[in-house]
Amino acid sequence: MSKIEEVKAKVEIGKTKLIPGLVQEALDEGNAPGEILQAMVDSMSVVGEKFSSGEIFVPEMLIAAKAMSKGVDVLRPLMAGDTSASLGTCIIGTVAGDLHDIGKNLVSMMIESAGFTMVDLGVDVPAERFVEAVKENENVTLVACSGLLTTTMPALKEAVQTIKASGLDVKVIVGGAPVTPEYAAEIGADGFAPDAGSAAVKAKELVA
Amino acid sequence: MLTKRQNLMETIKGGNPDRFVNQYEFMNLIMEAPLGEMAGPGQTIKNGWGITFSWPADQLGGFPVHDDEHKVLKDITDWKNQVKAPAVATSDEAWAAAVAHANAVDRNEEFVTAFVAPGVFEMTHHLMSMEDALMALYEEPEDMHDLIDYLVDYELAYAKELINRIHPDCIFHHDDWGSQRSSFVSPEMFAEFFLPAYKKIYGFYKENGVELIVHHSDSYGVNLVPFMIEMGIDIWQGVMTTNNVPELIEKYGQQMTFMGAIDSGVVDFPDWTPEIVAEYTEKACKECGKLHFIPNLTQGLNFSSFPGVYEETTAVIDRLSKEMF
Repeated sequence: MSKIEEVKAKVEIGKTKLIPGLVQEALDEGNAPGEILQAMVDSMSVVGEKFSSGEIFVPEMLIAAKAMSKGVDVLRPLMAGDTSASLGTCIIGTVAGDLHDIGKNLVSMMIESAGFTMVDLGVDVPAERFVEAVKENENVTLVACSGLLTTTMPALKEAVQTIKASGLDVKVIVGGAPVTPEYAAEIGADGFAPDAGSAAVKAKELVA
Repeated sequence: MLTKRQNLMETIKGGNPDRFVNQYEFMNLIMEAPLGEMAGPGQTIKNGWGITFSWPADQLGGFPVHDDEHKVLKDITDWKNQVKAPAVATSDEAWAAAVAHANAVDRNEEFVTAFVAPGVFEMTHHLMSMEDALMALYEEPEDMHDLIDYLVDYELAYAKELINRIHPDCIFHHDDWGSQRSSFVSPEMFAEFFLPAYKKIYGFYKENGVELIVHHSDSYGVNLVPFMIEMGIDIWQGVMTTNNVPELIEKYGQQMTFMGAIDSGVVDFPDWTPEIVAEYTEKACKECGKLHFIPNLTQGLNFSSFPGVYEETTAVIDRLSKEMF
């Protein structure tokens, strides 16, 4: 097994302590940083698929994302200024009136693992704040809005419609327990994902 | 007509109930027990463990605060220094109201029920955040085992006092183990960390006169049901429709009863109507049947978030009892 394959395999099973050393060894073997990063992105796609299908659970996904993040720490100084692998910036937040952050944090981790730079606005985010954040940050390609409560579905609708009405060229993805694909379409979102693994896949599709 | 208690026993044993067990009617909840401080609407409090809870007035519930300033457990490998259990209340004064309430209950009619929350899993993530707690199960399993043992010891100390004071017939114990789509951890991980913990806790209650263990988890949990049975749960309260409740009753009803199947999220919201409540309650009762099932909102106590929903559900169940029994 080549070092790059080993990195890929160990990210998938969340070997956080081994990854920095393996990434360094892969670099020492002459692999380009972008190639190693892509290998880790690919492993996270596998992790996302396994999560969506129920084969693995939240801890396995978290630990894999953490392993990848340790690998990215090694690559980052070597990739400064190289934006070729980036899918742009994603603004993420839980909508106004809703304080749930666990699902949103998982989605954030998985979208980041797919190659986005994340800006997390936290919870209870007013619709206008999403628009401001798109304007304040560079190369924003995607906004992800989360809502867990039936009672905050109107706030989700308001967030999507405010972003869309701003005329900014960004895609909007939504998710959360009560959200259905039909509701996402009805409120004008570009995409919907039922879980964190699917969110990463959908995010990539939307900005492709 | 059977008493509420008799009707419950007939239902869970697969006998001859004369009506549906109507939501929480069989539990007389002793909420006066000194369980520890909990945040109410509009409050921010720090409980005996040092966990800060905030419940903004416009929200449906409170949340533990996990920013760097407020997180109690910042490093699992140092938990022995960072986590200090509060003292269990042992004074007569602290227990007086609970004892008076328990003594006033007709135990032939209802179960004197002690409410216990949060559970062991919830405590791990209240102390350190969900992400840290779940990752620690992988990264520092020995420390997590030790922390869980410590939490169990505290629960058992409280249980001992609770039993001595009010002699509960029933324990209503919260610990949310999943989202609506899946369990938070794999069955293997659950079996390693949480099954032994709950075998000790629920075993202790059963050995000390508690007849009924009701466990709340308003989530998916099909993959955990065999463990729930093994740890001694009699009734799983909060079972959501994502679990395919009729199938669970068919497969496991002889060993455990399922209470819920009316998802709070779909009936309990500001614009609820009696027609919506009737639709979902009828569906639950007709699909799940009369035995090993208790129709109930999935919410973890005997009320709804929006006024009238709980009472309307009760009224529909009463009507269905007359029609179906």
